[in-house]
Amino acid sequence: MNELAASYSSAAARPALPMLNVRIAWRNLWRNPRRTWLTASGIAFAIMLVVFAMAMQLGQYELMMDNATSMLSGHLQVQSRDFVETERFEDTLPGATELVRLVESWPSVLSVAPRVEAFALASAGERSFGAMVVGVDIEAESRTVRFLDFIQSGHAPQGPGEAMLGSVLARNLGVGLGDEVVILGTGKKGGMAAMLLEVVGLFTSHQLELDRGVLWTPLASVQEAFGLGDEVHTLAIRTNDLASSADTQRALADHLAQGAPDSPALVRNWDEVMPELHQAIEIDKLGGDLFFYIVEILVLFSVVNTFIMTVFERTREFGMLLSIGTRPWRIVALVQWEALFIWAVGAAIGLGIAALLVFWLAEVGLYMGEQLSEYTAQFYMPERLFPAFSIEAFTNAPLVMLVGTQLAALVSSVRVRRMRPVEAWRAAE
Amino acid sequence: MPLKLLTQLSCRNLFRHKRRNLMLLSAIVVAVAGVVVLNSLLRGFQYDMQEAAVSNLTGHAKVLAPGYLDDPSIEKSFQLAKDWRPDVADDQLEGWAARIRIPAVIMSERETRGVQFVGVDPQRESISFLGSVAHRGEALQSAADRRVVIGESLAEQLDTDVGRRLVLITQGADGLNREAGFRIAGVYDADGENLEKIFVFTGIERLQALVDAEVVTEVSVKLVGNGAGESSIKDSLAAFFDDLDVLDWQELEPQAAAMFLFADAAMFIWFLIMMGALIFGLVNTLITAVMERIKELGMLRAVGMRPGAVVMQVVMESTLIMAVGVVLGILVGWLFILWLGEGIDLSRWAEGVEMAGMRSLLVPRLFMNDLVLVAGLSLFFGFVASLYPAWRAVKIKPLDALRR
Repeated sequence: MNELAASYSSAAARPALPMLNVRIAWRNLWRNPRRTWLTASGIAFAIMLVVFAMAMQLGQYELMMDNATSMLSGHLQVQSRDFVETERFEDTLPGATELVRLVESWPSVLSVAPRVEAFALASAGERSFGAMVVGVDIEAESRTVRFLDFIQSGHAPQGPGEAMLGSVLARNLGVGLGDEVVILGTGKKGGMAAMLLEVVGLFTSHQLELDRGVLWTPLASVQEAFGLGDEVHTLAIRTNDLASSADTQRALADHLAQGAPDSPALVRNWDEVMPELHQAIEIDKLGGDLFFYIVEILVLFSVVNTFIMTVFERTREFGMLLSIGTRPWRIVALVQWEALFIWAVGAAIGLGIAALLVFWLAEVGLYMGEQLSEYTAQFYMPERLFPAFSIEAFTNAPLVMLVGTQLAALVSSVRVRRMRPVEAWRAAE
Repeated sequence: MPLKLLTQLSCRNLFRHKRRNLMLLSAIVVAVAGVVVLNSLLRGFQYDMQEAAVSNLTGHAKVLAPGYLDDPSIEKSFQLAKDWRPDVADDQLEGWAARIRIPAVIMSERETRGVQFVGVDPQRESISFLGSVAHRGEALQSAADRRVVIGESLAEQLDTDVGRRLVLITQGADGLNREAGFRIAGVYDADGENLEKIFVFTGIERLQALVDAEVVTEVSVKLVGNGAGESSIKDSLAAFFDDLDVLDWQELEPQAAAMFLFADAAMFIWFLIMMGALIFGLVNTLITAVMERIKELGMLRAVGMRPGAVVMQVVMESTLIMAVGVVLGILVGWLFILWLGEGIDLSRWAEGVEMAGMRSLLVPRLFMNDLVLVAGLSLFFGFVASLYPAWRAVKIKPLDALRR
């Protein structure tokens, strides 16, 4: 104590010892190692938990967005304004060839897949079901999206007269590979549109809407059968980076407005094409944040408590320091340094454990169980979840706890300013 | 040492450090209130999802012809006696309905879509979403109603409206296609675009006439409440319809059922994490309380207090503050839920919510069982947290302590 007091009084006289407070704070911390460890463990617990959970959460969002966009819809879509509203067959994009060329010429666009979508009656023998007939350019699709990976048997439709069916639709129609399906629909000008197609491929995606109701066949034959000229409904676009697809969207919209001013084309980003996914992510994030903050607040309560106890026990010590001329703000600063060190110890442990967990799970993934996977597959989630190495996940909790511990120390130590040295001296042990 | 005296000692000890214990108490209150609120929201989500799954023309149990799920056509149908009714006590049965539900193609003057064409007796549909949706125009009036009602989203897609005509094509009982015109009686606004796009309703007798057979494809039974007696109703239906399949809602909506179980697990995990976060502060404070009183405890031991009584006193302090915290925490949580009132409006995220199988109003649900569990486990955690401090207190040697 004498040594301490001596160094303090000399420090008060000579403010040229900047590291003194820091060293004393560090030593003070280990005067009660049990309490320091308990408090630091609390901080470590909160940081570990939040960092790990956030990394898992963000990793899951990344995968969901990537899976959802690369499955079928693409990063961006171009459709006619009216088609976006009502999905009516006649609201096409005219001058499709020129439009595709225009879109492809934009530097951050990797590839473009033009599609025609017509609702029609699909019949086999005496069975009939309604189905969406999608005309696709298989070569362009394979560069843009991954839905061809989900072919269960057979192959993608290449030539005219070939079709790939969702597996549930095929089962409902009672057809298999090699069987014929008749398509009846209404053409653009109101006339009858008919196609005779051979089933060459079956498709299972676990997206019920696709498996139950979609039939793929080459683009040119759908255009011809349904009386379309050089028209399509949708351009699905793959950009060079999903994270900056909104920038590409804006740039591309301007590019199209200049290149094809009369076109009804509207460029939409994936979060507009699939608002449900974007919203599901937002709402999940909200729930997660609520939980994270409650855990952080709980731990901060115990940090406040630690400092209340620390300051209370050292009333005598602080009174002595004040009486030999130490300025109150120095004592407050001392306690702030102590808080910083406790935080540093806790953060190091918490981040360390979280990093180990994250690195380990990045290797093996977290398996959700069969039943739950079926539910989560709707959200385009894979069977195994992998964490994201995101700066946000690794910095958010440590920063919140840093601010929290500093405030906790401050509210407990401002009392020192009101302390009267003589009374403090007299305070009981 | 009498319990009363111990309690008195513990109470007074707690009041010796008001600021510190008040802080600890606040932490407990926040933890317990947080758990109660999160629990009620999660329960709300869970039951909402179940309710949505059940009212999605599912019911708690459903009778289907074998193979209907793989091939939902009129061929997979069965006959139902006119006077049939489920063998369930009236006070347990919310209702039941027989339907024909088959795929069809629907055409307006401009557009064509694929739908599920459902023949219903509107009087019986109080058990499904059809009974509670709002209609523009009229709802179906009877089982013999010859008109259709369609969803708002489908009406938009088909560019049609109340009073206009639609053509529906579906397969008859003889395997041949039937085509018939229907007038639109009303357009319903369901909680979810998918429902609106998929289901087209007409009177069941009209649909039976169209397919040329007095059959149904499903009988759906809904019980009162959350379907607690669903296994017994499933058994009694299976006994009656011995050549048909009887499925409960978990089998019909496996994803919702999996999510239901997952929510149970999530609640428990949340609780453990919150208590974990709390326990560091609790142990810390209790240890300090013991270490400050070394001299005092040493003296008490020296004058003959038994080690067991020392342990009891520390455990008592922990339990007391925990008990007060639990009561206040439940109260705060309950007030917060009251403040939420009718529920949380999630319609900003309507499509995302629908994707998860929920509705756009999240109504928190508070169950007595959950509160009892939270209270009991919290007290248990308080007890566990006091063990180490209590052990430290017993280790104090009277002589050493007095000499300090």
